[in-house]
Amino acid sequence: MAGPVKRVRRITLLALLTAIALTIFMAEAQLPMIPVPGVKLGLANIVTVYAMFALGPGDALLVLSARIFLGAVFSGQPMTLIYSAAGGFLSWCALYLLRKALTQEHIWLASPVAAIFHNLGQLLAAAAVLRSWAVMAYLPYLIIAAVLAGLFTGIAAQALIRRLDGIKL
Amino acid sequence: MKTKVILFLLLAAAAVSAAVLLLRGGGEDSPVARITRDGVLLEEIDLNEVDRPYTLTFADESGSNTVSVERGRIRVSEADCPDRVCVNQGWISDGAVPVVCLPHRLMVEIRGGGGELDGGAG
Repeated sequence: MAGPVKRVRRITLLALLTAIALTIFMAEAQLPMIPVPGVKLGLANIVTVYAMFALGPGDALLVLSARIFLGAVFSGQPMTLIYSAAGGFLSWCALYLLRKALTQEHIWLASPVAAIFHNLGQLLAAAAVLRSWAVMAYLPYLIIAAVLAGLFTGIAAQALIRRLDGIKL
Repeated sequence: MKTKVILFLLLAAAAVSAAVLLLRGGGEDSPVARITRDGVLLEEIDLNEVDRPYTLTFADESGSNTVSVERGRIRVSEADCPDRVCVNQGWISDGAVPVVCLPHRLMVEIRGGGGELDGGAG
């Protein structure tokens, strides 16, 4: 009896997190553009960080992949899938490595590191597509933006984990 | 312990990036704009030799971009992609950052000029 109930509970939770992440992603896409390309808050990563630290790397990867794929479909730009997937995978790797290194109170620090790797992954994908390293000129802007936006989403994720800790999901 | 190391590395990365942005610079004697798609050169324009403003349109199966050229500066003025990041970026007149249209794999970069930051790049 316990097995199937647990499975249903897990798949429901992952679906819920994916829906939340996708909603945040689509809402953020409506915000006006910042003049430097590629710079955004990345609010949907709050969900990824939460999933990585509260549920585990496998679940985080499932939620992240589903959100990236559906996000590219809903935004009507299939080309962006390459960039998002490269950034998403690198940031997932960063979070995976930080999972063991950080204590429960310092989870917020994982987010800016993941954000830097996300932006690096996107730029590497762009360099591959454009067959030019010229895009790396954006790296300094994107690192600074990643640290600022990452601290913001990291603190949000930390607050989320603290508040959801007592609730049995 | 590890927390402090990570925090230090983050601050270092941000500081180095800021330093690179502030120190990036140089002369711009003969800015040459190169327009490429998939790394293949489509057009090369010496921006000092431009007498009157004109536009060029580059189209392929993924979509089209219109590039405006003036003496000393260049921009993507129209694009049929949904996000129009390249259009919003505005004019570039130096080699600091290229204009990139990711959905159409098109890039406009300036070589031969320096990296003096201007409004278009900031």
